[in-house]
Amino acid sequence: MIKIDRRLFENFDIILMLFICLVCTMALFNLYSASYPPKAYGTPAYIRQSYFFLMGFGVFLFLISFDYQELHSWNYPFYVLIVALLIFVYFAGAKAGGAQRWINLGFFKLQPSEPAKLMLVITLASFYSRKEVVDGYSITQLVIPVLLTALPFLLILLQPDLGTALMLGIIFVSMTVFVKLRMSTYLTMGGLALVLGVFAWEKVLKPYQKQRIQTLFSPDNDPMGHGYQVLQSKIAIGSGGKFGKGYLEGTQGHLHFLPERHTDFAFAVWGEEWGFAGSLIFLGIYFMMLLWGIHVAMEAKDRFGVLLAYGVVMLIFWQAVINLLMILGFLPVVGIPLPLVSYGGSSLLTTMLGLGILMNVRMRRFQNLQPEP
Amino acid sequence: MGFKLPLKEMEDIAERDDAALDQLKKRLMGAAAVILVFFGIIVLRLWTLQINSGKEYAQRAYSNRVREREVAAPRGHILDRKGKEIVTNRPSFNVVLIKEDSTNLGDVLTRLSPVLKMDVSELWEKIRKSAGSPKYLPVRLKEDIDWKTLAYLENHNHEFSGIRTEVQPVRVYHYGNLAANTLGYLGIISKKELEKADQKIYKGSDLIGKAGLEKLRERDLRGEKGIYFSEVNARGFEQQLLKSVEPLPGREIHLTLDVELQQIAESYMEAGEKSGAVVAMEVNTGRLLTVVSSPSIRIEDFIGGISVKNWKALLENPKHPLINKVVQASYPPGSTYKMVTALAGLAKGVIDEDTVFYCPGHYRFGNRTYRCWKHSGHGPVNLKKAISQSCDVYFYQVGQRVGVDGLAEFARKLGLGKKTGVEMEHEKSGLVPTKEWKLRVKKKKWQEGETLSIAIGQGFDLVTPLQMCVMTATIANGGKVYRPQLVEKVVDPEGNIVENFKPEIVNELVGLDRFFKLIREGMEEVVQGKRGTARRVAIKNLRIGGKTGTAQVVKIAQYRHLKEANIPYRYRDHAWFTCFAPAEKPEIAVTVLVEHGLHGGSGAGPIARAVLKEYFYNRLHNKEVSEEQ
Repeated sequence: MIKIDRRLFENFDIILMLFICLVCTMALFNLYSASYPPKAYGTPAYIRQSYFFLMGFGVFLFLISFDYQELHSWNYPFYVLIVALLIFVYFAGAKAGGAQRWINLGFFKLQPSEPAKLMLVITLASFYSRKEVVDGYSITQLVIPVLLTALPFLLILLQPDLGTALMLGIIFVSMTVFVKLRMSTYLTMGGLALVLGVFAWEKVLKPYQKQRIQTLFSPDNDPMGHGYQVLQSKIAIGSGGKFGKGYLEGTQGHLHFLPERHTDFAFAVWGEEWGFAGSLIFLGIYFMMLLWGIHVAMEAKDRFGVLLAYGVVMLIFWQAVINLLMILGFLPVVGIPLPLVSYGGSSLLTTMLGLGILMNVRMRRFQNLQPEP
Repeated sequence: MGFKLPLKEMEDIAERDDAALDQLKKRLMGAAAVILVFFGIIVLRLWTLQINSGKEYAQRAYSNRVREREVAAPRGHILDRKGKEIVTNRPSFNVVLIKEDSTNLGDVLTRLSPVLKMDVSELWEKIRKSAGSPKYLPVRLKEDIDWKTLAYLENHNHEFSGIRTEVQPVRVYHYGNLAANTLGYLGIISKKELEKADQKIYKGSDLIGKAGLEKLRERDLRGEKGIYFSEVNARGFEQQLLKSVEPLPGREIHLTLDVELQQIAESYMEAGEKSGAVVAMEVNTGRLLTVVSSPSIRIEDFIGGISVKNWKALLENPKHPLINKVVQASYPPGSTYKMVTALAGLAKGVIDEDTVFYCPGHYRFGNRTYRCWKHSGHGPVNLKKAISQSCDVYFYQVGQRVGVDGLAEFARKLGLGKKTGVEMEHEKSGLVPTKEWKLRVKKKKWQEGETLSIAIGQGFDLVTPLQMCVMTATIANGGKVYRPQLVEKVVDPEGNIVENFKPEIVNELVGLDRFFKLIREGMEEVVQGKRGTARRVAIKNLRIGGKTGTAQVVKIAQYRHLKEANIPYRYRDHAWFTCFAPAEKPEIAVTVLVEHGLHGGSGAGPIARAVLKEYFYNRLHNKEVSEEQ
């Protein structure tokens, strides 16, 4: 039942909303610079991204009007839909850059692997909150969540989209470790991960994917090849210095030295133009938003709420950390966007959905504690 | 929202386990700690990149985007005395590869190959050759592409990453091979030259003057390169020019040469396929009006570097086109040397105007008989007749009385036996023999009989055509030996005259006016006299003084009796003709040497005549008009 009563508005989290709005505004400004000078044709990225922001806020408002408990029942249809889309993409998706990740909807190319991340958060939150185990989960009890994760994981790996697939793995690990596991489960899981990792390195990973990982350790040795992006991003950020080159004054981004500067490398543009001071402010706000999300989880009224809020925060957090460490030259270049900042409709809408869930949990933290009058 | 899945666990959820929830919430503290730790790592990393290494990265960012490109300066023009452009420049468009900016080089070359009409392997070869050079330096793939190719590449530049076109000025020769041996040519700087050159000025693929004036005046002509600092994007396309130092064009060199005279002389030499030299000089200044070395090099062979095949052909050509015969070849002067003997005789008081020797057609000296070219003899001969009819017997006797060292003294005074100091490469000094010289070089004592050969310009004597012209001019102007000048002035790009020609007297023979006048009169008779050896050179309304000469190539008796046409070309005598005009007030001296041209009057004379006719064209023309009126 759609219930928007007065109390919901009273519990609307202005602080969370403020963080989201601040980050989104800075991201849009940055995107304008990253896609500057504008191309002669097509809609500029920052305009398109503005539409997605509006859509995102629409989705956000729509989502907070439900009680998040409804997600227990919405979860499986959602799961089936995403998996169906992933299968569809595998057979008939739009191709770009050697990968097949998109469904062309005409006005918008949907990348189902993006909502798949959120879908996994909800699925696992629902599963772990329903199956409460006092002395920790045994390995057999984890078979279902592992299978639930493995199906979309493999479908995404086939696209191929190593980065997103790994994100699903990270979400699984984050959420599973968060709930209580038995020691034997930890050991078995760890052993399995090791075996699977070696197997993957030998049999599954494509040479270019391996090279990306290897490049991590010596990006400077291959400046024209795979290390190029990382090197250029380090140059862009590093050359920003203390206070940056000024808005729209960054040369590395505008002269295309910085690859994918409006998508995965968007923060490098920020670092170049605003310097250390600006980066500190931006990251400060961004991480405050994440910490506030943890705060939301702490005050959630039930296990599902805690897991949902925690999962959403982890989803955003890991993507952000991997993206930042990647453009700072600490991690291999894998296609992980910086949520809310990188250009991309699917990622943005997914993140806004997640933040909607967070707000939802936040707004209903008192709901069942005080009986309705 | 009536839709609900029947999940039996849902019932458990209602019964909240507060203890388990609290435990879960405690773990959230751990999550928050993880977030903070990563925040710290990222901020620390930003600190090292932006604060610690900020300057270094700023420098890298700068060199990342700023390309320094040298722009060749247009080389100085070369003009004739009237300002006619002989050598100028035009832009040549070259296709170059910037290795640093290229991605997918293989693809690019495959697409470029049909555009440039070059094999992919050929392109790779060029790139391979440049393996050692820095990645940001352009590798020249093709030079001087046509407009169509240029337009295509400009329009499709996005398809060819790292490929650029660059403009380079190349020489344009408005008069083809005109004075090619004197002007010289350009070539790509060699490793040896580069080692010696100023590294700040020259780089690997630069053009440099390789010969002639292009080499000697390299410093004036080269100009100063410009440097463009432009911002480029990651694919190597220039975005904007940040700052530039415009190239400074080279200085203009105004020659003393007269294009028309030069052309006449060259065309006459070419028409007869003659090998040899023509020099025309202003008598009272030393300015060179014409310097022809024939056959000449073909300047088009040298544009953009000469091929090995062409170079070999030039080296092996029996007519030696690579040698500038004006200064680099010396010949026995033959009868033209008789002026030296005459001057020495007069100055030493051995003869005077009226001294008469009898010529029976031969002259006995010691136990040998020395022949006159006219076997029947000239009879009684005075100085004027001796010069005009080139009587050998007369000069044998003068020479004998003056002695070899006396002849040498005056030969040197007239500028023979040493370099004239003209601005030409590898000038030969010729040879004026003395007793001392023979002892030193040949390790033998001088034979008196040899003096007789010297007196008529045979034997050891060697002169260059330029020396002969200088000598003729000295006789014509009454004793001033000028340094021959090729460059009149050097003008910088702002129009300032950097260097200006001033007539330079190297030596002056004082107090000999009377003798020079006598010699000149004799020389006038050579052309104007009824029995002169160069009567056919005469031009109506113009008095010319001249002297023919025949330089023996070999002294082989077997050919002496043959008809001239039957003597093999390479054994035929060289033909000299040297003259000045107008006789009454000389302005110009012309010297012609035709290798294996047999006789001075017939072989060399007509060419000198053509040059004089052209030089005096206007005056001759006007005179004729005035006579008709």
